[in-house]
Amino acid sequence: MLHTKIIDVKKRKLSISLAEEFISSSDYGASIFFSGTVRNQNNNKSVVGITYDSHDALVIKSFEEIYNETNQKLKIEDKAVFIEHAKGFLNLGEISIVIAVACKHRDEAYVLSRYIIEEIKKRSPIWKKEHYLNNESNWLKGNPIVHEKD
Amino acid sequence: MKVIIELFGASRDFSNQNLLELDVANDSTIKDVRNKILDYLNINFKGNENFIKIVHSSAFCSNDNIISDNYKITNNEKIAIIPPIGGG
Repeated sequence: MLHTKIIDVKKRKLSISLAEEFISSSDYGASIFFSGTVRNQNNNKSVVGITYDSHDALVIKSFEEIYNETNQKLKIEDKAVFIEHAKGFLNLGEISIVIAVACKHRDEAYVLSRYIIEEIKKRSPIWKKEHYLNNESNWLKGNPIVHEKD
Repeated sequence: MKVIIELFGASRDFSNQNLLELDVANDSTIKDVRNKILDYLNINFKGNENFIKIVHSSAFCSNDNIISDNYKITNNEKIAIIPPIGGG
């Protein structure tokens, strides 16, 4: 069971409560909620906010691929997964990503949650532009998506 | 023929319109488009080194699929440039 969405933060904010509602089931004995939030420091600079950009279709596709491959790679077939990522400007402390997982047992829930966030970092086309106290802003350097070059 | 390049992430700084529309030769590939973007940056941003690095390290996408450098473009095709990523 999977829920994925890119949220335009002008329309609504991300929240844990929607995730809790989605994964809640007496079939599962372990739930993990992960949220990423905007922090006030990066590389010795005072951050006041982050703008998130996203190629929505590719991001959703990557979320689905990551979810599907956990059947084989992690041998976790019975699960509920909720993934939402923000798009737009976020202030300090606001939530940029929510990943909620529910599994039968805690071991697999911890593994699944960690796997999903690490794969999203590597594979989902999302970009961050940091805004600083001195009114400057900067796109953060990321990692290239693997692609074929002649 | 024309190709329309949707800009994402750091490449949005290449234009204030969130896309580039470039003239390319018939049968052009992504490799050719990459070179056309570099030409555009040399003309409009005096070869801004950071921008050039972004182009070299970017992937391209068409119809929600990552495409290789030898992918052939069709006239008026819309593709997206995918600079190095890092969300979460």
